Amino acid sequence: MMRIALLAPMLALAAGAGATPHLDPGRPPASAQQAAQAQNRMRPASVGATLDAEAEAHLRASFDAADSAHRGSLSRAEAQAGGFGWIANHFDAIDTRRAGRVSFDDVRRYLKTTRGPNAAAAQERR
Amino acid sequence: MVTIQSVLRSARFAAAAAMVAAGAGCGGGGGSSDMNGGAGGSASFVDANRYSAAAAASLSTPNESVGVTHHTLTLAGGAVAYTATAGHLSALDAGQAPEASIFYVAYTADGAAAATRPVTFFFNGGPGSASVWLHLGSFAPRRLATGVPATTQGAPFPYVDNAESLIDVSDLVYVDAVGTGLSEAIAPHTNQDFWGVDADAAVLRDFIQRWLAVNGRGASPLFVFGESYGTTRVPVLARLLETAGLRVDGIVELSSILDYNSNCSVSGGKPTINCAGFLPSYAAVGDWWHVAAAATSDLDADIATVRSYADATYAPDAATWLASGTLPPADHLASLVAFTGLATATWQQQFDMDYDTFRHHLLANTTLGVYDGRMGALVGTPLDADDDPSNTFVEPGFASEIRALLPELGYTNPSTYVILSNAIASWDFSHGGRALPDVVPDLAAALALDPQMKILFLGGEHDLITPFHQTELDVARLGGGAPLALHFHPGGHMTYLDDGTRPLMKAELAAFYATATGAP
Repeated sequence: MMRIALLAPMLALAAGAGATPHLDPGRPPASAQQAAQAQNRMRPASVGATLDAEAEAHLRASFDAADSAHRGSLSRAEAQAGGFGWIANHFDAIDTRRAGRVSFDDVRRYLKTTRGPNAAAAQERR
Repeated sequence: MVTIQSVLRSARFAAAAAMVAAGAGCGGGGGSSDMNGGAGGSASFVDANRYSAAAAASLSTPNESVGVTHHTLTLAGGAVAYTATAGHLSALDAGQAPEASIFYVAYTADGAAAATRPVTFFFNGGPGSASVWLHLGSFAPRRLATGVPATTQGAPFPYVDNAESLIDVSDLVYVDAVGTGLSEAIAPHTNQDFWGVDADAAVLRDFIQRWLAVNGRGASPLFVFGESYGTTRVPVLARLLETAGLRVDGIVELSSILDYNSNCSVSGGKPTINCAGFLPSYAAVGDWWHVAAAATSDLDADIATVRSYADATYAPDAATWLASGTLPPADHLASLVAFTGLATATWQQQFDMDYDTFRHHLLANTTLGVYDGRMGALVGTPLDADDDPSNTFVEPGFASEIRALLPELGYTNPSTYVILSNAIASWDFSHGGRALPDVVPDLAAALALDPQMKILFLGGEHDLITPFHQTELDVARLGGGAPLALHFHPGGHMTYLDDGTRPLMKAELAAFYATATGAP
């Protein structure tokens, strides 16, 4: 009994000394923090071309997920069904060779034409 | 043209049909409704489901029944009649299989044109936090009057008409992520399946798509609003929505953490990350407590001075200290003491200054708030019980009001509405090949897909957990041409609680929506 009674205030103290209970954003688990610390020494925050490459990697991952047949290209219907509706919506502008299928390089080429203020204003809208 | 009025009628019809279907699940007539009330008809629903925020929880009897009530809010520009809808809607995967039963409260203006009326989805953070803070504290038609940063009159707070509501600008949908509020994964999924940076954003994308489809709002200008971890969630969500082919007109990031690898509050204790992004916030808090010798009567000017000092001098000094333990010359320490009021000895002990050390040492025998450094409590007093007076003061009032409000909105349920679950303990923080998320590339990807998407960053100058200058540093990575605006004001993490700042934010939001939708 005595030991239990003593334990409660000790736990409360431990909680007070560590993370507060209601944090948002809260602190990630220690294992994730340690992994990040090791990574970040090798990989500083991205800017410029490195940031663009990381952004592109997200889009390529979505492209590859839609390309379930691993053909390296998507038809309009495959893009739509595979969750890349943006490609389906812009399909004619991306498919400049009128091949009926577009590769990720075609998507990259199209994105370069829509960059910048002038290109943005001219971009095809919904 | 589809109007919201007609959409609501069909939504009510759907709700009535669902109630009939769910009748057996309601424990034999727990529900009651007044569906024959004509155009102004209301509905109430007693939901017998028991929702759980446990990692292994898995709902087998989802329903999509809602409570519907009608209200009017008088604003400076005139009266706005609106409908409140509270209940669940299932997020469906690509194969139309249910993933999660998502709880939401929607406030939609009556009689607006769906094609031009914006709709905004709001998300708090955590991860593990329900959207109760944004819902009850910020820009909904009603809000809790907390009087923050004063701590004189505690909960219960008056729940008052909100003169700064955004309902005159946009429809407002407050969404609880899976395993928060009353949202739960649908069997065979468990809550844990959606407790990760990518899985969480994907299921919320699916919820938004479903809500827009069910309510006939596919043509409406679309906005997504995040707070705290919600500002990590929203860039991923915006990228996924744009990828799926939806156009996101604008995103609002309030009290941002865009990169867990750059925010020194993440590691806590002895930080391993440079804390220079926090220095202007420390100065603002020292200024508030009248302990910063360098402070003038002009907070903006003081912040500008300290921001420059942080970038030019403190950041390299802190990097040196982190690498070698070497302190800078005495005049650098003297500057830091003058800017913040924090004693020389404290800087010497922990030169890369984490917010916990700062807020426990700035004033003798006093704990300052994490969320709002203007709120303090003497050590050992009731407001210090959770080591954060700024949370301890407001949370009970938010917790009690959400429980009282939902039945008033026609939705009754026996489960505990979970303000903050333990999702963070098993959250998968990995994203984009990093162990902790950096969502600046997600913003860049969303902008690549939609160069006209606009981004607004808001925050409080006295927030000690997502400091505004760290946001400025993170956002700078996007380069000068990015279509974004940043506004920071006196206030804490829940910046809108400040009565002087909330009207400023409302004006900035209204201007932002006008720009993002191309309104004249």
